[in-house]
Amino acid sequence: MKGNTVKKKALAAAISAVALAGLLAACTTGGGPSKASTGTSPKLTNCSNKIVHKSAPEVSVWAWYPNIKTVVDNFNNLHKDVQICWTNAGQGAPEYTKFQTAIASGKGAPDVIMLEDEQLTGFELQKGLVNLVPYGANKVKGNFSVGAWKDVSQGSAVYAIPVDGGPMGMIYRKDIFAKYGITTPPTTWTEYEADAVKVKAAGGPLFGDHASNTPQVDTALIAQDGGTPFTYDLAKPKDIKIQLDSQAVQDVLNYEAGLVKQKLVGTQDQFTTDYVSGLIAGKYATYIGAAWGPGYLTGAGVGKGSDSGQFAAAPLPSFDPSDPSVNWGGSTFAVTTQATDKTLAAEVAEGIYADKASLTNGWTTQTIFPLNQSVLKSSAFVNNKSAFFGGQQANKAVYIPAEDNYKGFDYSPFTNYYYAQFTTLLTKINAGTLSGTDAASQLQSIMVKYAQGQGFTVTQ
Amino acid sequence: MTTADFRARRPLTRNTLTGRGTGRNTLGHIFLGILVIYFLIPIWFLVVASTKDAHGLFAGSAGALWFDKNFNLAQNVHDLFTYDGGIYLQWIGNSLLYAVSGGVGATILCVLAGYAFAKFRFRGRSLTFALLLGSVMVPLTALVIPTFLLLSYLNLTNTIWAVILPSLLNPFGVYLMRVYAVDAVPDDLLDAARVDGAGEFRTFVQVALPLMRPAVVTVLLLSIVGVWNNYFLPLAMLSSSNLYPVTVGIGLWEGLASSNNGGGTSLWNIIIIGAFVSIVPLIIAFLSLQKYWQGGLSLGSLK
Amino acid sequence: MADTATALGTHPASVTLGLPHRGRRRLNRRSRVGWLFVAPFAIVFLVFLVAPLVYAFYLSLFTKGLATGTTFAGIDNYIKAFTDTSFLNGVWFVFRFSIVLIPIQMLVSLAAALVLDALTTRFARFARLMIFLPYAVPVVIGALMWGFLYSPSFGPLSQIFGLFGAQAPFLLSPSNVFGGLIIVVTWQWAGYYMIIIYAALRGIDPTLYEAARIDGANAWQVAVRIKVPMVSSALILILVFALIGTLQFFVEPSILTPVANGSITSDFTPNIYAFNLAFQYAQFNYASTISFALGIVVFIAVYIFLFATRKRGSFLS
Repeated sequence: MKGNTVKKKALAAAISAVALAGLLAACTTGGGPSKASTGTSPKLTNCSNKIVHKSAPEVSVWAWYPNIKTVVDNFNNLHKDVQICWTNAGQGAPEYTKFQTAIASGKGAPDVIMLEDEQLTGFELQKGLVNLVPYGANKVKGNFSVGAWKDVSQGSAVYAIPVDGGPMGMIYRKDIFAKYGITTPPTTWTEYEADAVKVKAAGGPLFGDHASNTPQVDTALIAQDGGTPFTYDLAKPKDIKIQLDSQAVQDVLNYEAGLVKQKLVGTQDQFTTDYVSGLIAGKYATYIGAAWGPGYLTGAGVGKGSDSGQFAAAPLPSFDPSDPSVNWGGSTFAVTTQATDKTLAAEVAEGIYADKASLTNGWTTQTIFPLNQSVLKSSAFVNNKSAFFGGQQANKAVYIPAEDNYKGFDYSPFTNYYYAQFTTLLTKINAGTLSGTDAASQLQSIMVKYAQGQGFTVTQ
Repeated sequence: MTTADFRARRPLTRNTLTGRGTGRNTLGHIFLGILVIYFLIPIWFLVVASTKDAHGLFAGSAGALWFDKNFNLAQNVHDLFTYDGGIYLQWIGNSLLYAVSGGVGATILCVLAGYAFAKFRFRGRSLTFALLLGSVMVPLTALVIPTFLLLSYLNLTNTIWAVILPSLLNPFGVYLMRVYAVDAVPDDLLDAARVDGAGEFRTFVQVALPLMRPAVVTVLLLSIVGVWNNYFLPLAMLSSSNLYPVTVGIGLWEGLASSNNGGGTSLWNIIIIGAFVSIVPLIIAFLSLQKYWQGGLSLGSLK
Repeated sequence: MADTATALGTHPASVTLGLPHRGRRRLNRRSRVGWLFVAPFAIVFLVFLVAPLVYAFYLSLFTKGLATGTTFAGIDNYIKAFTDTSFLNGVWFVFRFSIVLIPIQMLVSLAAALVLDALTTRFARFARLMIFLPYAVPVVIGALMWGFLYSPSFGPLSQIFGLFGAQAPFLLSPSNVFGGLIIVVTWQWAGYYMIIIYAALRGIDPTLYEAARIDGANAWQVAVRIKVPMVSSALILILVFALIGTLQFFVEPSILTPVANGSITSDFTPNIYAFNLAFQYAQFNYASTISFALGIVVFIAVYIFLFATRKRGSFLS
């Protein structure tokens, strides 16, 4: 009993002590803000990396590559005139959310930001990004393919420097193909479906997966089939052409809906642990993805157990042999309009992840599929025998040709809205409640209405 | 003294056998048993999953709710505290800093304001209180941009203050303090102190505060939990990963794991053990302080 | 405190009674001191809640398209919001969700509190803590755990159903997501509500039970006729906060979105819609409008609820 009261008293004392400390803290906070505002720009005080040359001016960078620390260290070691102060502000969407907030507030953006290709147009239109041509962007133009450069350009303006690309291909399980008598991988989507039917009839696993959360893949297939969902040029910022009810869109969506309806492919969302564990367990015979796929899959644990060495790459099946190559994903570095010193920021955007050591680290760890021609043309890269593909020279056979044939894509300035709406419709297609044709016409009317509501003049 | 009377009353009622069952109720126990299973399953899952490697997590030998044959706990703990230069410890430290400073600060403000709302009559009191309740009706998502603007005007975004200062706000805490103080602090006691010549602040500290102690502990704990569990405020206000609290940090890892474009290793096992380790401090705090906060929750009006 | 009959609404009277009647000057001084005590909170309240709210409201009166400049819209945005199917469907969802969730939550927490109040065993004490435990788990982490548990390929459901050779239901599929979320949210909050009700129950004067017992009431009758009415103001308080929280439903579904296979859309609830409008689609003005429109809906719902329970005076006294 007595011990209890003592404890209670001690607690009371402790609480009052904490309360007092808190009060003192509350008093001192009053002085905090004014002090901070007289100091230097606060965004450079929280670097996640080491500054090598302390006297050099610093440029803040947001990026999320898994090997970014190495890349930043390489840059800082190589540059005496400028240093990167890097932080990871989130992977994809969380970073864009912060950038969006910063644009709305006119404050809080980094000097240089990592962005995926598909996000550029929207931020360009919001005047969040700087045209890099006056800052020497064209000096590095020769390092990239025509398609890669088009994705970061608007007419003669250039808003970002490409790093990583996503030329698409098909990954398949050799053991499953062999078991069900598929001797050569399908080269057309018709063959793909026929092989899928064959595997299913023999009681085999799903042939592939049609996820609702990868409208990027469906969009890429639409482009492959000759569709141009959006035609947009920042030079005429209020005009946009939207063609989402075209034959190509209907064909692709009907094709996918057909695969789903026949239960030839699964409908599990991508980038989920469920999908990856299914892939490891041999639940899917093929994986339709981009050149960064093997890196992603390895990181997620695919190809490490009984499935080791069972994967192989083949060119993406096409609708027609003359179809162009298509792309999924890819990332760039851009300079924001809030950058304090745009020249220095441009130097960083053009120089980061462009040195040999970083690029080599990037592709050998399968972190990126580099777009820099110095790598794409190097024999080490071309002749690399991929461990994931059991020694197959996948770069030479699949991904480099796909990148060389990529012609670029016109992204709309409202990619996020388009993807969200497309995903909703894809979910319905996967549930069997919507036909591909209906989905195409709904998508068209949704997007036209949205664009008009945002003040665009829409041609169809 | 009145204080003693007030304190003595509670244990007395608790020990009175009248009206309470003797604990032989089988049906009640079965009901509680079912509830315990429901409330424990996710936590049990987390405990079990913390001991697995990535393979065990997704293709383990004994399923999701039992230990895998490969017991990987030590390795997971090691990975958790060494990954990315041990940034997890930094996140836990940040969470502690935000939770304690934000929680203590919020509690002080709540106690002062709740006491005043209960014991003083001043102009605008009712209006302020109505405003307070009405203000929680607009969702906080609307406040992100204005708050960000405000903090960036003060040059405070992406600093610890961007998390701590907004955390000082706890309208529900003020409400709790107020309803508690109304009954727990007798007016004649305050008047007696005033007649004895004590100033208002001294009266508050020496007479009212000790009487309000159970509610103070409760509001303190609720505020700390609120800040500790906060996710969207720090997510929006911070861009440097070394300032993140542990909730946002784990969210960052999840994003990384879901779209892991390389990096070689699966992050899921450190995400799971990181989630587990992050809830341990709060659980310990609750278990060790339960006597106080449970008392404080029986706030006057809640009868 | 001992007087259980003291309703919330009556205390201003007691405050007045406590005041020594020395005239206006004293009252003015006290008024100033009162403000002094409130000032620290009031400053934070004004700076971090009222000012942002006012600014957000200001934003909601303007319109800005991606391709146009900012123009004054007046109530046009609000007219648009209340005819926007995304918003209306979201409101309809959170309404249905509240109507199902809140009674379930209340029933679970009230029943648990009543049982715990009646039992004094060690197991009961253990159960009380375990039921409360989820409150100490951040919502983000709770949702992460449930995402794993709901997994169709490695969650426990697939194993249990697998024993019978059956396909486990996916609790986040479009047709199950409603129930799947009910389970998650009840898990997260019922323990917290239970503790509040439990604490209120412990505060009841036990002599009341004695009297009832003498009148021949059994345990069930005591619970329904005495205990529940005695904690009714605690229940109403909880209900109001649960109602506000559920109508603003946001965190759980947004964390579960990536594992929900498309069931949780970008306009699933009004709050998620507002968030996506602002941060995905760069429509800050309209996002503010949606937030305030939701605020209006919440206000009406709370008002109707308080009116229906005839306790509306209690909170705004």
